[in-house]
Amino acid sequence: MKNVINFVLAAAVATATLATTAQANDLDALLKDVKANRISQASIDKKREAEFLSERADKQALLNKAKAQLKAEQDRNKRLTKEYADNEITLAQKEQELDNAKGTLGEMFGVSRSAAADAYGMISASIVSAQYPNRGEELNRMANATEIPALEDLEELWIALQTEMTESGKVEAFDVEVVNLDGVKSTENVTRIGNFNLVYNQGYLTYNDELGQVQPLAKQPAGYISGTASGFSGESSGYHALYVDPSRGAILALETRKRTIMEFYHQGKEVGYLITVLLVIGLLIFLERMLVLSSMSAKIKAQTKDLSNPNENNPLGRLLAVYQENKSADAETLELKLDEAILRETPKVERGINLIKMFAAIAPLMGLLGTVIGMILTFQTITLYGTGDPKLMAGNISLALVTTALGLIAALPLILVHSIVAGKAKSVLHKLDEQSAGLIAAIAEKESK
Amino acid sequence: MLFLIELLDSVRSFIATGGDVLYIVAFALFLMWLLMIERYWFLGGVYPKIRDGIIGNWDARADTTSWYAHRIREQWISEATELLERNLITIKTLVAMCPLIGLLGTVTGMIGVFETMAQQGTGNPRLMAAGISQATIPTMAGMVAALSGVFFSSRLEAKIKLAKAKLVDSLPHH
Repeated sequence: MKNVINFVLAAAVATATLATTAQANDLDALLKDVKANRISQASIDKKREAEFLSERADKQALLNKAKAQLKAEQDRNKRLTKEYADNEITLAQKEQELDNAKGTLGEMFGVSRSAAADAYGMISASIVSAQYPNRGEELNRMANATEIPALEDLEELWIALQTEMTESGKVEAFDVEVVNLDGVKSTENVTRIGNFNLVYNQGYLTYNDELGQVQPLAKQPAGYISGTASGFSGESSGYHALYVDPSRGAILALETRKRTIMEFYHQGKEVGYLITVLLVIGLLIFLERMLVLSSMSAKIKAQTKDLSNPNENNPLGRLLAVYQENKSADAETLELKLDEAILRETPKVERGINLIKMFAAIAPLMGLLGTVIGMILTFQTITLYGTGDPKLMAGNISLALVTTALGLIAALPLILVHSIVAGKAKSVLHKLDEQSAGLIAAIAEKESK
Repeated sequence: MLFLIELLDSVRSFIATGGDVLYIVAFALFLMWLLMIERYWFLGGVYPKIRDGIIGNWDARADTTSWYAHRIREQWISEATELLERNLITIKTLVAMCPLIGLLGTVTGMIGVFETMAQQGTGNPRLMAAGISQATIPTMAGMVAALSGVFFSSRLEAKIKLAKAKLVDSLPHH
């Protein structure tokens, strides 16, 4: 073991000695290098110093030049400021001179400008522009002009106003491009009534002055109103009745927001439809009952005239048949038999009548149900959005009211038809119940004589 | 004549403020009074002859006590009752319907009010006034129509009942 350590130590010493010798050589070379470099560095510094010194002279020259330029500009500034002030004074003098020269014409300038602006507003929105487009451009230029209008401009204004006035008194038909609600353009024959309304064969039109387009109303007013318009445009001579909107479209615009009866009906929603079903079923039962009872009473009437030949197709005939079969029986047995037969007939007469009565009672109750549902929805809306906007609540409130109205509308005719049918059934039942026995008694008396 | 024109004008403006439901009230009222006047006319003018005929026939009968006679008597009374009571049920129904029609007017009027509110907001109560008058006037008209019928129809009913009872009493078993 000791041998091994000694060997390692000896090796390490040998290696160190070798390295030291090599480094000593390198350091000498480095020293030499540094010395050499110091000499060359000094020469470079000297050279740069000389360069800087020469440049300093140049910069001084540049500074002097710039200073001279600044001086020149300041002088110019002074001169121009003075010139500007002089010009201002001249301008004021000239404006004064212009005002003096214009005299009262200045007032006319203002008046003609405002008149042109008024006329532009009126004429561009007027439906006469649908027939004669682009009338407003000249007026618009005049309204925005900065100079005194020329005589031609004034004449232009005069003519524009005169045209509008004359055209507003005419009823004229002309062809114009109509942009339909689905965006499709079509050329239609349109009748203009003064400057109030545009009508064509499908109702009323409006003139959109922003786009310069003729458009149909978003929704035509009620049929009896728009019907006159479409009828009017189909006529070529004579006098015809027509609904005219004197407010130049404002009333028609309100009409488009009005709901139609069908829209009201559909606001009743499911409850409303159920009420309608009740009404329809009730009326159908009424019709069926009316037919059956009418034919029954007609047959009974025919039978009353011909008592000797009982016909099985009517209740009275069947009762008479019962009598014919039991002629020999005593009065008490006969009465029992007749009562039995009447009891058999009664349901056939009374069938369905109570159903009508029930429907008449249910319909307003269903309306009440719709009212309650509508109010619940209204209060839900209030919980969510507050009471600020009555328009939000209006939809559900109209559900509530429309169902009530529908319930009443269904109940009223049902009550009436029930009373009619009930009266008829009562009369038939009287015939069977109270009068048939008498008829039979009369026959029996006659036969016994 | 001038008075009539004024009357017509006031009726017209009444209907204009009350709305179309008033036409239904007017129709019901007209029908009701037509039927009632017919009944009064029947009771006063036609029925006495029928009654006298029946009483005469009954008095002419030899047999008034047998089962047959009873049935025949019942038949005659029933026939007379049917004539007396014709349309009475319709009159009573119409009387009952009048307030309901008024109620219908109330509801349609309120629909009008809310329609206005939905379009114009609640800012202007004058706009809503038309709907409100359409809600209240038909109710009043329906009430008045019903009231005008209630008294006379119940009088009519009592009269008919009396006439029937008198007829029954006038057909004795000899």
